[in-house]
Amino acid sequence: MSATMAAGHLPIETLLAWWLHETDAAETDAVDEHLLRCDACGETLDALVGLADGVRAAFKAGLVGAIASGDFIARLASRGHRVREYRLPCNGGVDCTVAPDDELLVSRLQAPLAGVERLDAVLEFSFAPGVRHRIEDVPFDVGAGEVIYLPKIAEVKRAPTHTHVVTLVAVAGGAERELGTYTFRHRPWPVA
Amino acid sequence: MEALDASAAEAPEALVARRIAAAAPGAARDAEAELYRLLAPRARRYGMRHLRNGDAAADLMQHVMALTIEQLRSGALREPERVASFVLGACRMTVIEQRRLERRRGDLLERYADDLPIADIHVAPRLDHRRVADCLDRLPERERSVLVMTFYDDAPADAIAGEMGLSAGNVRVIRHRGLDKLRRCVDGGAGVTS
Repeated sequence: MSATMAAGHLPIETLLAWWLHETDAAETDAVDEHLLRCDACGETLDALVGLADGVRAAFKAGLVGAIASGDFIARLASRGHRVREYRLPCNGGVDCTVAPDDELLVSRLQAPLAGVERLDAVLEFSFAPGVRHRIEDVPFDVGAGEVIYLPKIAEVKRAPTHTHVVTLVAVAGGAERELGTYTFRHRPWPVA
Repeated sequence: MEALDASAAEAPEALVARRIAAAAPGAARDAEAELYRLLAPRARRYGMRHLRNGDAAADLMQHVMALTIEQLRSGALREPERVASFVLGACRMTVIEQRRLERRRGDLLERYADDLPIADIHVAPRLDHRRVADCLDRLPERERSVLVMTFYDDAPADAIAGEMGLSAGNVRVIRHRGLDKLRRCVDGGAGVTS
């Protein structure tokens, strides 16, 4: 067990803020100083950085699905990631696939989001008819007018021919309102 | 100069530094190895945060430890019990004046490279990213998205906030909740590999 000289330990939020460059100069100096004397906090930081590495690795391996921003997608593309993108208008559909060397699959679902308080997404797959998976409280940017959905590309690459329907639902005060339905007609690579 | 508090003076690195300083130059090999084991990981963390590059952080760590041991051996570090402060100062100077110190670092490593006691240092084990993915899957969508966007390129809360139409405070709250759940989930499984 490492020894520590520090009277107290830094909260993990402080370590994370320091790591992400959110701290001002005085706070940064104070954390620098603390970490030079406190191995317990250093080990907490190591674990935090290890977790961040794990999140990054899982995402890069295509094992994590997420809703993301357009800027985030642009950053990935600018770094040379191979991005396959489908943009669907409200109530639209698309024939889609994913190539073996694609690294990111992006679905842009255009929707009238003005005034929406909470957004849910309901997913249904043709290989499991009648089974609906609901994702509650999906993040969205009203200004962008679209929801950017990144499925787990590793799973999509293994998927057989199927149809995948996404329905966006606005929820407010116990009432629900369908904003749009989006149909993905997937075929495995190579598409004949 | 500020007085050193008693606990700092009795810290393991202070005791080891005194042994090095009291010995003939290069004679306290075990103490030098112990000092390296204690302080090198701390210097590496500083380098990771301020240089954002594993190789650069490793270089900084090597340089600072070589400098520290040189100073202790030669007696130039007059208060060896202040060795942690010395290391922090050396880290800061190295980062700020990296270019100027480039040649000096080369000289030091050339002089001490064969002589420098390199002990194994603790490095956090790498997590099994499949385990992390399983745990991310269990998070609410909003928390998962914020964590992915945060950790993919170590983005601060205000950057995420601007991209997602949230306030920075909101992002921090979501991030905190998600991180807490993720840590507990990952720690709950045997998800580490060496």
